[in-house]
Amino acid sequence: MKKAIHWLALGLLLALAACGGAPAASPGNEYGGATDAPAGGETAATDGEVDRSRLSGELYFYNWSDYVDPAILEQFQEEYGVEVIVDTYDSNEDMLAKVRAGNSGYDIVVPSDYAVQTMAIEDLGLPLDKSMLTNWTHLDPELLGQYFDEENAISVPYLLGLTGIAYNTEAFPEGVDSWAAMFDTAQVANYQGKLSMLEDERETPGAALKYLGKSLNETDPAALEEAQALLIAQKPLLAAYNSADVNRKLASGEYVIAHAWSGTAMQARNGLGDEFSGNPAITFVIPKEGGTIWMDNLVILKDSPNAYTAHVFINFLLRPEIAAQNAEYVGYITPNQDAVPLLSQEVRDLYDAGYAPTDENIDRLEWIVRDESTSAFTDLWTVVKGD
Amino acid sequence: MIEATSQPAATRAAKPAIERGRLTWGGLALTAHAVLMYLFLYVPITILVIFSFTRDEFGVRWTGFTFEWYTRLFANERLMGAAANTLYVAFASTLVSTILGTLLALAMERYRFRGRNATDALLYLPIVIPEIVMAVALLAFSAFVFDLIRLVTGESLRRNLTTVIIAHIAFSISFVVVVVRTSLKNFDRRLEEAAADLGADSWRTFWRITFPLILPGIIGGALLAFTLSLDDFIISLFLSGPGTSLLPVEVYNKVRRAVTPEINAISTLMLIFSISLVVLSQAVQRRR
Amino acid sequence: MALNPAQDELQRRERVRLAGLLAPGLLWLILFFALPLVVILIYSFMTNGPRGNVVFQPTLANYITLFTKSIYVNAYLRSIWASLLTTLICLLLGYPLALFIVRQPARWRTPLLFLILIPFWTNFLVRIYAWQIILANNGLINSSLDALGLPTITLLNTEGATLLGLVYGELPFMVLPLYAAIDRFDFTLLEAAADLGASRWRAFLRVMLPMTMPGVAAGSVLVFIPTLGQFVVSELLGGAKVDYLGNLIQRLFLRSNPPDWPLGSAMAMVMMLVLLVLILFYFRATTEDDR
Repeated sequence: MKKAIHWLALGLLLALAACGGAPAASPGNEYGGATDAPAGGETAATDGEVDRSRLSGELYFYNWSDYVDPAILEQFQEEYGVEVIVDTYDSNEDMLAKVRAGNSGYDIVVPSDYAVQTMAIEDLGLPLDKSMLTNWTHLDPELLGQYFDEENAISVPYLLGLTGIAYNTEAFPEGVDSWAAMFDTAQVANYQGKLSMLEDERETPGAALKYLGKSLNETDPAALEEAQALLIAQKPLLAAYNSADVNRKLASGEYVIAHAWSGTAMQARNGLGDEFSGNPAITFVIPKEGGTIWMDNLVILKDSPNAYTAHVFINFLLRPEIAAQNAEYVGYITPNQDAVPLLSQEVRDLYDAGYAPTDENIDRLEWIVRDESTSAFTDLWTVVKGD
Repeated sequence: MIEATSQPAATRAAKPAIERGRLTWGGLALTAHAVLMYLFLYVPITILVIFSFTRDEFGVRWTGFTFEWYTRLFANERLMGAAANTLYVAFASTLVSTILGTLLALAMERYRFRGRNATDALLYLPIVIPEIVMAVALLAFSAFVFDLIRLVTGESLRRNLTTVIIAHIAFSISFVVVVVRTSLKNFDRRLEEAAADLGADSWRTFWRITFPLILPGIIGGALLAFTLSLDDFIISLFLSGPGTSLLPVEVYNKVRRAVTPEINAISTLMLIFSISLVVLSQAVQRRR
Repeated sequence: MALNPAQDELQRRERVRLAGLLAPGLLWLILFFALPLVVILIYSFMTNGPRGNVVFQPTLANYITLFTKSIYVNAYLRSIWASLLTTLICLLLGYPLALFIVRQPARWRTPLLFLILIPFWTNFLVRIYAWQIILANNGLINSSLDALGLPTITLLNTEGATLLGLVYGELPFMVLPLYAAIDRFDFTLLEAAADLGASRWRAFLRVMLPMTMPGVAAGSVLVFIPTLGQFVVSELLGGAKVDYLGNLIQRLFLRSNPPDWPLGSAMAMVMMLVLLVLILFYFRATTEDDR
């Protein structure tokens, strides 16, 4: 308990400092020097002073499945002698349920944007000691201070992604640039049974709303009704609502087009680790009507038994070469701007081609907001599924 | 320990007639149906086993033979550890729930007592409850109890394999009770009375008469409990602690992302393990 | 009424024995099942907070929603129908199978019984996935049809596929209790019926079926209930296109943003209550007569 208060005080101090001062306060790196990122060899030294006597033997990391490169965990163990034990979950709500109950035993969890907000409101996250996060400066400042944690008091950006359309260029030689490819039933009838939408009560109605030219977060009943009608008309033509193995089904040709996350699309194209190799005909697009941006974040739990070690681990993950290696493995986008130059040419090309926020698509991207007003989507989705 | 052959004398006497019956059209149809059913049960399993040796990384096509997935699996400590945890939980919870369930079944079938109807209802509840609801209830409850323990003793507890076992026992008991009660229902109590008349005390009567006769029911109940525990996903997810992952949880998370033949491989190993266990127990029994 | 001391002593011993039989299991169930369930009961009368946290503000709103909104009523009806169908198919397939096993020579019966269960000792999801491999558009059936020059058919992501998966998943839960019941059946009774001039079919309907009814009842219950609460099969084989009760409860607890535990709890409470009444009634009707 004392420890928690100690951290809390530190966090508050830091938050105050961040409000008042320039972000260049941390040593070593100058803000804005994205292009002259430190070379890989140097970064180990920028991890700051680590008091090895305070490190625990183990660290419990509660993460999405396949969402961290196991080689990185081995390297961390080699360097610091700490074994990182990963358990996996399948939805933010799985994780929140376990964390809310208290005493979960985990140190670090990976909530998505809106779930960070929930954790902040319910005081589940430990305020970060940013003096320990010396690699913080590598993060893209554009991605910091989002609506769900404006001071980044408890959350560190981990990986982000976009939601749009992934498709097989062999089936669509002309390319796809509109949600009409998913919602115009006359078009869809040509590849009926070979397309999927996400099994997600916000993303999927959101796509319909985008097609109608509305915001993802529109809760006007008339607009929702229209979106609902679109989804019901589309349903018989779908293979499935699927947010699970879209990567595999796109790569193997079971689907020719899918409402998908950018990382799923990248996995379908490039393969996933040593699990399967990809299909180069797959590509990803944010339709002209717009798409979603979202971000997963590292949060240290308030009741974390190993908060010190957790900070050391997060700082380790923020090293550009580690972040790059991880992003390369997982297929989602690293918020670490100094890691981007270290990515393989192939992945960087995909980033530029719209798998990541670019100048071309950034204005069409929107965050999904979730609060009491958006419970209307639960009803909408229940109607669609009940039809 | 396993033997499903105990028969009342009457049935044994009837055997020859049934043997004859098998030559009829009805008997043939019955056999054909059984063959089809076993095929139905085994086609997916066979595919699973075959595709644990395929080179195809999606595990959906035969593109050549390889042992690669097994080598990879043996190197995967997570999956192997989860499999060991799962077996441990299944054995422990089956043992306890079979004993408790059999006792309850005897009480329910042999006695009339106040609160019997309420007990009946309580016994059916775990069967009626959707798994997710039980999982959430147990999660909330364990958090509450842990808080209480911390307040009283200052000791900070965590969910681990024991909490999973406790939960698995809680939902398995009812299934055991249902199956064992079935075998008690058609039970000819005159056999017990005869034993008592011959001077056997109730303990001896139970072990010599009652127990062998309801053994098929007990075995059925135990097998059901074992199967349920092996397969349980959502309660295991909620009640396991950090670093004590169970196979169904691992598989669920993995399968939802991408099935690899590695999953086929571990399923094949679990099958081989279960089958050898059965064969072993049968062999031991034969010798006895 | 006065009992003589010997009777008194006998009664006391019986009572001790009953307590010994009941206490361990009952205690376990009350501690680790009934008490946690009270939590859900309380939740079902609470208000859902803005972030999906349960707010302790008593209300009946959840129950009112369930009984007044047609989407929820329909989900109940649809699920009950699907479960009934699954149970019936399992019974029709399982009864002859259990009978077949009972009629085999003694040393074959146990292995045959194990053969029913062994497929179920692999993970449930993996088994369902194996069906995906078989049924998919480019799966085993369709690629074989294609190779033979026949037109392919959509098998996966249909309600038929969901039903197939459900039957596949629940069949042993029907066969086991049926086996236990038929194993206890005295087959000489069939001969007696035949001697009295009854046809085989009539003998089955009038003698064997009633006597094995406890097994039928137990099996039906064991199949019906989990089917009602399932959510994985309709997701993986049905393409997640239709919500059954299980999907809906699962979603309210774990997938919605924000989740709605109070409504989910109420939904579960109603479902359990309905089932409990049905089952107690069913067991009374099918088994009381042999007491």
